[in-house]
Amino acid sequence: MNQGLQNLETSSFYIMLMAYTLSMLFYWAWIGTKKDLMGRFATYLTIVGLVANTAAIILRMIIAGRPPLSNAYEFLLTFVWGITSVYLFVEFRYKLKALGAFVMPISFMILMFIIMSMGAEERIAQSIPPALKSKWITFHVVTAMFSYGAFAISFGLGIMYLLKLSRETNGKTAKSQAQGIISRFPDLETIDELSYKVIGFAFPLLTLCIITGAIWANYAWGTYWSWDPKETWSLITWIIYAAYLHARLMYGWKGKRAAWMTIFGFAAVLFTFFGVNYFLPGLHSYAVSQNILIV
Amino acid sequence: MKEQHEGIVEDIWRFFSSMKLGLILLGLVALVAGIGTVFPQVNLDPQGAKAVSELWQTLGFTNIYGSTLFRLLMGLLCINLIVCSIQRFQGIYHQTFALKPPENITSVPNKIQAKLKGEREPLKNSVQDLLQRNGFKVTSQEIDKDWSFIAIKRRLGNWGSLISHISFVVLVIGAILGTTMGFKGFMMPSAGTTVPLSSLNLSKGTVKQDFDVHIYSAEDRFLENGDRDNWYTDMAIIENGQEVLRQTISVNHPLTYQGVTFYQASFANGARLTVDLKDQKIPVVLQDHGGNYFQAPGTDLYLIAAAIKSDPKEPAMLYQVYRGTGVDPVQKGQINLGQTIDVQGEYKLTLEGNAGFTGLQVKEDPGVTVIWLGCALLLLGLILSFYWRTVVVSGVFKSGQDSNGELTIGARAGKVTGGLQQEFDRLIQGIQSKREGAL
Repeated sequence: MNQGLQNLETSSFYIMLMAYTLSMLFYWAWIGTKKDLMGRFATYLTIVGLVANTAAIILRMIIAGRPPLSNAYEFLLTFVWGITSVYLFVEFRYKLKALGAFVMPISFMILMFIIMSMGAEERIAQSIPPALKSKWITFHVVTAMFSYGAFAISFGLGIMYLLKLSRETNGKTAKSQAQGIISRFPDLETIDELSYKVIGFAFPLLTLCIITGAIWANYAWGTYWSWDPKETWSLITWIIYAAYLHARLMYGWKGKRAAWMTIFGFAAVLFTFFGVNYFLPGLHSYAVSQNILIV
Repeated sequence: MKEQHEGIVEDIWRFFSSMKLGLILLGLVALVAGIGTVFPQVNLDPQGAKAVSELWQTLGFTNIYGSTLFRLLMGLLCINLIVCSIQRFQGIYHQTFALKPPENITSVPNKIQAKLKGEREPLKNSVQDLLQRNGFKVTSQEIDKDWSFIAIKRRLGNWGSLISHISFVVLVIGAILGTTMGFKGFMMPSAGTTVPLSSLNLSKGTVKQDFDVHIYSAEDRFLENGDRDNWYTDMAIIENGQEVLRQTISVNHPLTYQGVTFYQASFANGARLTVDLKDQKIPVVLQDHGGNYFQAPGTDLYLIAAAIKSDPKEPAMLYQVYRGTGVDPVQKGQINLGQTIDVQGEYKLTLEGNAGFTGLQVKEDPGVTVIWLGCALLLLGLILSFYWRTVVVSGVFKSGQDSNGELTIGARAGKVTGGLQQEFDRLIQGIQSKREGAL
């Protein structure tokens, strides 16, 4: 039965990969051609990808007999799920299909990272050490999944903002703009306000993620904070977004500067996730030796 | 002189109440913390920290989070947050609990605003009734033939920012309590032994509590599929010779007694042996891989367990015996369950069975409760700030020649206006529908 489930999980993964890849291409085609059919296909494929992504996660849960949040592959799977689900919510809630052209490439690149850097033995369900057997890790990773997903959306919005702004400041005529790709983007103020809303949603979740991580560490090792590089970089990410919120609310940092901060913030998210494990491995032996990512 | 003194105090106050200072300090904390991730830190990687060039060690780069610079930054940030919070308290209090209706139209929020025409009393009743039904607390006042009102909804949202800022100070207080009080240590007792808490191998602080710990059993359990389940220690607290508490702990499931918490940190296999030395029976527990040794009294023989087979049905031990400071063992071999061997003609050794060694991290941290309080406040503050936004609606009704007049009504929601327009439009629509219904 397990073999059958594993085959099903592998199939779900590849269906998800195909669907997300095609959806990215269709989003690009949609903003390039303005053909509604392309846009509809892009959204449908994203939904198909999300269903397959959900199936892969549920199947992994059944196979492993635990929440699928305990190694790099499993977390990346949930990270992609977080990005896509938050994206689809934003697309439907704010009718912002153009954002897909900037967000789906993030999901695609994460999946490519899995394909290119992880062997089959790293992707199968593995046993976990006693320290990871805690309900707090589930809260910790689920909050990370949604907050990181939302930060990816704000990153996409930041790129959209800067592209639209550069086109406008380059003095393009209204007519050429209307015919161009950028015409698919909402106005600058809407992008900026939405980006703030998304960060306003994600920031408390990132805080909860750090707190649940501290609670877990305290139960497991008796130390709620040890200045481990992973902890420290999550704090740095938190500070960057806290600075963004303060600068925006107190000094009216909107528009271009805010857009750059969303990009900078997401770079910190990625460094916290990938950079610490791959650039500072000597200091985070837990993540390297066990191939475990503690978010 | 007094004026000059007051001027200095005011300057210092202004300096510390600056949001710019807070942002700069946050940036510096992030920068210094980031640098600390590049250098091996003594608390995480003592060997790596020692290997770093002496210059960096002297400059404190290998203990950056305990450095004076880092503590100074955190201290300044706390002062900044406290001063900012004191400064903002009164304003927030007034914005929440002492709202006054506007005196004239210019005081009505103008970014989100609408004008409604109608008769004085029906309009007033419609507005007040609708706002109250939508969860607003309404305060109104009459000025001759005119009237004005102010209404507030989700007013605790105003406090979110203040609470989250204060929470940071609470977190720092918790960390200071944890650093300056309590203790941290490690012990690795074997099953069947009783050890006093004071025998702890301390890395910080001193032990004030006076009780013993008895280890009934220490197990490394596996699941049916061969995966490790967890390490379990059945342990008891002994106070004045009496067992006062008994509990099985495992990783992620610690035991706390009198503020001292026992965390299951590691496990090592051990062997239970009996040494027969001149008709004296001595129980001995040896740890796997030479984790400890036994020196028979009156001899210079040292016995270690080189390897232990932990199978409960067929336990066995590879042993080595050293004499004095000799590098090579003078005797080595395997001993099976129940088997008795002779050790250099000095004593006899019998393997009785397996015995686990449990690695216990033991800690007293009076700051932990304060830390969780700080975390709860931080979350509460952020939830109030981002998910419980205060909305204030106010308006002024100016009467015309008869009982008719015009109501200027506006709304604000702190510094965030996104989504407010829609909420305001719904309110206006509701007021109009209500008036039409009344007609």
